Amino acid sequence: MTTRDVRLDHVTIRFGAHIAVDNALLTIEGGEFFSFLGPSGCGKTTLLRCVSGFIEPTEGRVLIGGKDMARVGPNKRPTALIFQNLALFPLMSVADNIAFPLEVRGVGRKERRRRADELLELIALPGLGDKKVYELSGGQRQRVAIARALAVEPDILLLDEPLSALDLKLRQHMRTELRAIQKQVGLTFIYITHDQGEALTMSDRVAVMNAGVIEQIDDPVTIYERPKTPFVAGFVGETNTIAGKVMSQSGLDVVLDTPLGPLSGMAGGGRHFSVGDACLLFVRPEQLSVQAAGAFSATVVKEEFEGNLRHVFLDGAGTPLRLSRVGGGAPLAPGTSIALSYDHTRSTVLPASGARA
Amino acid sequence: MNAVARIFRDFSGKHGLGVALYIGIGVLVWVIVLITLPQLAMLDYSFRNNLPPPMRGGEADVYTLVNYRYFLFGGGDGLNTLDMWVLGKTILAAVVVTFIDVLLCYPIAFILAHSATGVAARLMVLGLIVPFWVNEILRAFAFRVIFGATGLINGIGLGLGLWDAPVDFIRADVALYSSLTYSYILLMVFPIYNAVEALDRNQIEAARDMGAAWWRVHWRIVLPVAKPGIASGATIVFMLTAGALAAPQILGGPSNLWFTQLIYQWFNDAGDWARGSAYAIILLFTCLAFVLLMMKVFKVPIGAIGR
Amino acid sequence: MSTGNATGRVFSVGYTLLFFAFLFGPLLIMSATAFNSSSFPRITPWECFTTDWFGVLISNTRLMQGLVTSIIIGVGVVAISVPLGLAGALALAEITPSLRSALYTVLITPVLIPGVVLGISTIVFWGDLGRSLGGGFSTLFFNGIFLTVIGQVTFIAAYAMLIFSARLQRFDPTLTEAALDLGATPGQAFRKILLPFLRPAIGSAAFLTLLASFENYNTTVFTILADNTFTTALASKVRYGTDPSLSALAVIIIAVTLIGAIVHEAYTRRGEALVAGPAKSGLYANRLGRLAVHPLTVFALLVGLAGFAVYGGMHHESGACQGRIMEGKRAEQERLIEEQQRRMKENAARPQAPAAGSAPGNPSPFGGAFGNVGPAAPPAPAAPAPSGSAPGNPSPFGGAFGNVGPATPSVPAAPPASMPPAGPASSGSAPGNPSPFGGAFGNVAPGAPAPPP
Repeated sequence: MTTRDVRLDHVTIRFGAHIAVDNALLTIEGGEFFSFLGPSGCGKTTLLRCVSGFIEPTEGRVLIGGKDMARVGPNKRPTALIFQNLALFPLMSVADNIAFPLEVRGVGRKERRRRADELLELIALPGLGDKKVYELSGGQRQRVAIARALAVEPDILLLDEPLSALDLKLRQHMRTELRAIQKQVGLTFIYITHDQGEALTMSDRVAVMNAGVIEQIDDPVTIYERPKTPFVAGFVGETNTIAGKVMSQSGLDVVLDTPLGPLSGMAGGGRHFSVGDACLLFVRPEQLSVQAAGAFSATVVKEEFEGNLRHVFLDGAGTPLRLSRVGGGAPLAPGTSIALSYDHTRSTVLPASGARA
Repeated sequence: MNAVARIFRDFSGKHGLGVALYIGIGVLVWVIVLITLPQLAMLDYSFRNNLPPPMRGGEADVYTLVNYRYFLFGGGDGLNTLDMWVLGKTILAAVVVTFIDVLLCYPIAFILAHSATGVAARLMVLGLIVPFWVNEILRAFAFRVIFGATGLINGIGLGLGLWDAPVDFIRADVALYSSLTYSYILLMVFPIYNAVEALDRNQIEAARDMGAAWWRVHWRIVLPVAKPGIASGATIVFMLTAGALAAPQILGGPSNLWFTQLIYQWFNDAGDWARGSAYAIILLFTCLAFVLLMMKVFKVPIGAIGR
Repeated sequence: MSTGNATGRVFSVGYTLLFFAFLFGPLLIMSATAFNSSSFPRITPWECFTTDWFGVLISNTRLMQGLVTSIIIGVGVVAISVPLGLAGALALAEITPSLRSALYTVLITPVLIPGVVLGISTIVFWGDLGRSLGGGFSTLFFNGIFLTVIGQVTFIAAYAMLIFSARLQRFDPTLTEAALDLGATPGQAFRKILLPFLRPAIGSAAFLTLLASFENYNTTVFTILADNTFTTALASKVRYGTDPSLSALAVIIIAVTLIGAIVHEAYTRRGEALVAGPAKSGLYANRLGRLAVHPLTVFALLVGLAGFAVYGGMHHESGACQGRIMEGKRAEQERLIEEQQRRMKENAARPQAPAAGSAPGNPSPFGGAFGNVGPAAPPAPAAPAPSGSAPGNPSPFGGAFGNVGPATPSVPAAPPASMPPAGPASSGSAPGNPSPFGGAFGNVAPGAPAPPP
């Protein structure tokens, strides 16, 4: 247990009858880059505001470094929040913005300036202290916001979709940079995003949220390859969904009776199914491949060309399917029937009703 | 009270105790000491006899309807048609002035919102504001310079031989109505402008595209959007016109009184504060009732006013 | 009125021009009369260019004392209504919507209810309070300045509130949250983030409330009791007689207003340009341009211009011109008197001649009652106006104006003693005179056509 741990102990947040966060239970390790991933309105921002102290949980506790944060205001918590719109103070210079946390603590002017210059050095913007905020580019503002948050000397840095306002190139660049800064300062980063790319590239662990509920907490690879709920399987990355009924299960290997014939997959979340359970088989498009002797066959509907990838849209006995293949070769003509196979150890079987593990 | 305490806690949590106290005390003093209590005191006064200070609170100081009775029946038995006529005329004149202001200001508000751009728009806004900043007494005075017997219009009219004796624009109340119309133009333009500005230009163009005549575009598309603005502006202009005192005193004809002048006379000439209060109450409630009636007729919600 | 439509555009431009002619015409005409040496505020006929009326204005002690009172009241009103308005705006910004509309209605009502009502309720309430506390007439409860400040604050604070509300709507509340998150106490966040953001609005509110206080009449005329503010003194001056020194005042106020408006415009444009970034406007991109349109530069320039005008005005000598006019008038008068005497002799010879036929073929409607008809004026009718040419004539509009009843006309022209009472159209206030303009225009009464002599 370090001062940089965050523990959500059965946190529930209600607004009237609406449940924004439902019984969140998790521990974020000190120094971890932890992301909450989910569609807008899933409660992730509410949870973040709860950690930073703007919202008190309706039930449960928030512990930071083992200390209960109940009735500790945002200004007293060892957290610093980077807002979605950055919330840089427009009337202050860059240096004054960065030194604001020191100013409110009563640090003298000279010391403030020295510290601001240090932080500007850290974010690779030396000498910009006297600029006004509006004179900076989007990426520079981003970094100033980070520097200002770091000036608090927080244990935990909270980031609320800070990259969403940037264009694609800059966003990708800032991902690398954020990760580098996190490694350098060694703080706990809690990152909120609806962009799976951001969550998967930067995070040590990701919590996927849906409708106030945390569906799965795992490292990015596990999240992608071993989703535990249909929502996670569908929300993170592209996937093919094939409905069927359980025929048999041995260990984690499950065989489903589907319209495409009997197909096998791995039981998601280590579940044990009974014969006849309605289930869904999830197969990633890049796992499907055209084989001479495949597990099942489907008819080509169309093919789309996207540079490095080709997306083939198929119809398999009424189930829409999609496969992605790399490289050239003759395009597949619509109406062609092709045989397909997949690595069943990298596919997932989950219950059709949204039950969670 | 619980709600007030909760709001206070919210403020204190957000801005600190000092700021919360400042906001709470400020609003309470304003609402209670400055707005509510004086109105109640005036209401109370209007139901009392006009007594010299030593007799106040004594036996003779009882509630009475004498001041309101006077408004209805005067000193004698017949109806007090004179004062009632003044009130009716004031309301009617205020309606006329308001109506003229709507007609004058609607095109300007529309032009300002949808035709004028850049420098022209800024100049227009400036041009609207500057006359409004000139003292209202002087604005009335300007109309005396124009409409007086030796004024500009008579000077020109007589000089050109259009008429051969000075026309008494003052007695005909032309000067007064012009001045009142002039005085509150700004307060009519800006509410309409605010409402019309929200209108998407494409809607107008789409309607024109479909072959609608300009008047139909305005009647069917612009006017419904402008309605809350017109209601807001009309309410403000009506209330200010009906409550005007300076312009009628300066520009009113000798036999044409404004109702506020009656109130003024009861207070300052007759020294009868009780009756003056009653007349003020009568003016206040007549105006409010009229505005509420109009909003009912035109189906405008009250919340739209002043925004 | 729609774009892409030539007729519409012509209508737009034409209407706009007419509209602003209506807005500025009266002000321009009034301003022009300040520079005419005629003792009535008018521009036809034009006599001499003069700046003397500014001197007359400044030497009006009643107005100047009122000005001092007005400034004291204005300072008091600003000092109370700006903080009150801010409190109201902050309260409105952060309470629940249902409560908000209720509070808004209560706070905005004083703007709508007649100022007369506010004035009366203020003096009644504080008078009652004073009496019940046993205060005498020398206490605060009966002090005109105090009551005026209180009465004005009641509604002027709502103006301030509207300004603050408009500004607050553009405030990003995450800035306050960011400050709190960065370790500021709620009080610090208020002082260091919200207040600086509101500073321009505080300036605007102070300016607007001062102006509103300064020019308020309806409420003040009741609450000021026996005292006088600038505006109430001005009103009583306008009601009971005018001279162009009021126009001079209008010139000063319009000039101050224009300077204020232009500087304010420079200020807001600068603020916008700075926030939008320097690239947006070429004028703000280079140092020189930015300096040229800096509000302080603009202000200095305009004040310099005004100062130059004042200096020029002070050294303008209109005495010679006015002397000529006076001379012309005197000659005119002598001629008239001679003519009249001649005619009286004729009349005496023919006693049955109609008395009303005073002004044979006189085309001027400006009765001779006003001696200051320009020298170019056609021969004036017979009524001599010996006192007319003296400046300070109490009422140029005849007695019919103001609230003064027709029974108390301030007839400017008393017939000279040498005039026989039976003289044609001699006495303006002749009973039965059909003209509503009081007696001063008796000799131009319609329906009394002048037969040839």
